[in-house]
Amino acid sequence: MAREGESRSFRRKFCKLCLDKVERIDYKDDRRLARFITDRGKIVPRRISGTCARHQSQITEAVKRARILALLPFTSDQYR
Amino acid sequence: MKLYETTIIYDPSLEETRINEEIERVTQPITAAGGEVIDVQRWGKKKLAYIIRKRRDGTYVHVKHKSPPTLIAEMDRRFRLNESVLRHLSVMAPKDDPRPEAAVAEGGEAGTIATTVPAVVQE
Repeated sequence: MAREGESRSFRRKFCKLCLDKVERIDYKDDRRLARFITDRGKIVPRRISGTCARHQSQITEAVKRARILALLPFTSDQYR
Repeated sequence: MKLYETTIIYDPSLEETRINEEIERVTQPITAAGGEVIDVQRWGKKKLAYIIRKRRDGTYVHVKHKSPPTLIAEMDRRFRLNESVLRHLSVMAPKDDPRPEAAVAEGGEAGTIATTVPAVVQE
């Protein structure tokens, strides 16, 4: 698991989902998806999260579906 | 016939019996059209991530079914006319869904990723 942060410049980022061997990201799994959105509700970009291309595209699709079902916010209203 | 997943958010004020009726109204046309209802999950009352039609909660129902694609359009039309449906979403279900993440010994692109990553799965 990815418990250590991936902050320092030389530290290589890795895809946490590959590490967990996640085959498919489910839009119903809002707890897992919540890790890939910011506190404003934006999807975290790959350059920040280090997610691989395959998983990132799965994340975006899943987050968008979860938003339709109000499992995840489109935006956080506490910042309005 | 294709495999679909339909999630419907009903008005939280609907009673159990009304929900059952509504589910019947979803499943009945599926079987009538020659489809098959595979699974009906009631997620119960959940908090919405944002307010929909002044409601903060919704009663979630998740239906997995095999249906002809034309029925999806018809279902969509009916949901939109139905006042007690706050939200609905129908998507194609992945084929090997019965075991979503346990599919380690799968070939293709999935297999390549599994082999390049060292097995350090814990928790």
